[in-house]
Amino acid sequence: MHQFRLIIKRMLFWMILLSFLGLILIPIYWMLNTSLKNPREVISSVPTFFPHDPTLENYGKVFQAGIWRNFFNTVMVSFSATLISILLAFLASYALVRYRFPFSINKLFLIWVLAVRILPPIVLAVPLFNIFNAVGLINSLSGLVVAFQIYTLPYSIWIIYGFLKALPIEFEEAATLDGASPLRVLVSVVAPLVRTGVIATSIFALILAWNEFMFALLFVRTPRLLTLPVVISRYIGEYSTQWGELMAIGLLASLPILLFSNFVYRQLTEGFSMSLK
Amino acid sequence: MKNKDRISYNSFFYIIFAPALLLVLFLTAYPLGTVLHDSFFRYDFITGAKDYIGFQNYIRIAGDELFQRSFRNTLVFTFFASVLEVFFGVLLAFLLYGSFKGKKAASLIIIFPMIISTMVICAVWQIFYHYEIGLFNYVLRNIGMQPVGWLTDQRIALYSIILVDIWQWTPFTFLIIQAGMSSIPYELFEAARIDGAKKTQIARTITLPILSTQILLVLMLRTLDTFRLFDKVYALTGGGPANSTQTLSFYIYREGFSFFNFGRASAASVITLFFVAFLAMFYLRRLLREDD
Repeated sequence: MHQFRLIIKRMLFWMILLSFLGLILIPIYWMLNTSLKNPREVISSVPTFFPHDPTLENYGKVFQAGIWRNFFNTVMVSFSATLISILLAFLASYALVRYRFPFSINKLFLIWVLAVRILPPIVLAVPLFNIFNAVGLINSLSGLVVAFQIYTLPYSIWIIYGFLKALPIEFEEAATLDGASPLRVLVSVVAPLVRTGVIATSIFALILAWNEFMFALLFVRTPRLLTLPVVISRYIGEYSTQWGELMAIGLLASLPILLFSNFVYRQLTEGFSMSLK
Repeated sequence: MKNKDRISYNSFFYIIFAPALLLVLFLTAYPLGTVLHDSFFRYDFITGAKDYIGFQNYIRIAGDELFQRSFRNTLVFTFFASVLEVFFGVLLAFLLYGSFKGKKAASLIIIFPMIISTMVICAVWQIFYHYEIGLFNYVLRNIGMQPVGWLTDQRIALYSIILVDIWQWTPFTFLIIQAGMSSIPYELFEAARIDGAKKTQIARTITLPILSTQILLVLMLRTLDTFRLFDKVYALTGGGPANSTQTLSFYIYREGFSFFNFGRASAASVITLFFVAFLAMFYLRRLLREDD
């Protein structure tokens, strides 16, 4: 009897878990499924769960349309934005942890950065558009790298600040006594100690920048300079949507992140449990 | 330390702090100042002339039916999306508590939605919701029900977008709650079990109270994030049908970037900011009280 109830419980557990996983996987599978169908099969009113006549036609068309260019833009922008954020956040957080600026700037700055993290970015978009326009940052990838700092910099500062705050000061003191300059201490003592934390933070920032849509939509108009999310939104908006091609781009845009999801998962969980402490 | 050393020591910290400080101020303080300033002006887009008009923009907006609608929609979206995401996140975290074979693979799959681009997600759901070729209506027709205009029926469209947001962000609440759960010492459960407590009792009286801070935190994060809803509206409905999915962010976007009404866009921004600040304070006060 007891055994029987245990088996029922097990089965119930697996049924619930598998249905949750199904809900998550079906849309991703549907992307693959649709991207391999020919245009006629896609718009059939009876959706097919497997492509009856699998074809790579959609991928071919997408590449012909020059998707590489947009892929490359996305890579360039998101990696540059992440690199800048991490570097600036690391330097600033270290200063905030180890040095007392006058007028309680330390505290005010951290509160301000948190406020930036929670405000709706559209609020900044109109005035920033005018400023960027005046300094020639509209319609350029470097403009996007700067704009993305609104998301990635506050994030990076808060998380790296947490890591640095937890660092014991003894190592730095020892190095200073040995005659190392502050820069030397920062580069060869502090940086290696927070390496894992910084990697986790870069993953966050990279995903944020890779998927950013709003500024990429508003600040860049030239098709050659668009990033993948904006290309996708343009496909969705078209009168007769090319679903197969759209799904092919979607899959290509997600592939880099999905391939590293194992690594991403580890970093995310570590990052979260660290930042909760 | 010698005076010269002192100066170079101080300037080192000023130099490494300055880039981040300046960039943050350039990207936020100056634009926010402009928004506040512009909200009191009438801005002629063609001539570039600015007239001070006091609170006129605010008064016009407060009486604007579309703005009221946007506000209401935003509240509905924020409430349902954030509460349900946290609810499902807690549910998943409890489901995956303890060890079983395949736990790691399951967790890995669960985080997929939150790392995929919102636009990609919107593209897939757009197909699911499609009136003629969509999976949802196919299922409805097969079980003998009328097809539904998921994104074209004004009573339903907003909730369809909520569903997409839940699919995308429940993994995030799950991850945070799971991280919180793993910090609960195992001895607590052992002690309760020895005292004869049942599993559901343990969950209700031990796990949930300890998790309450995490739940509040993640609820705050989701509330503030859902309040800024823009991408999904842009991609899935464009604010329609009949403005039933207009949100505050979308209202500001349209006033600013489609109609070039910088004054009204700014006034709407200021109102939105006040409300976001209010929401943040509401949660932060509770969170800080929990900490004591």
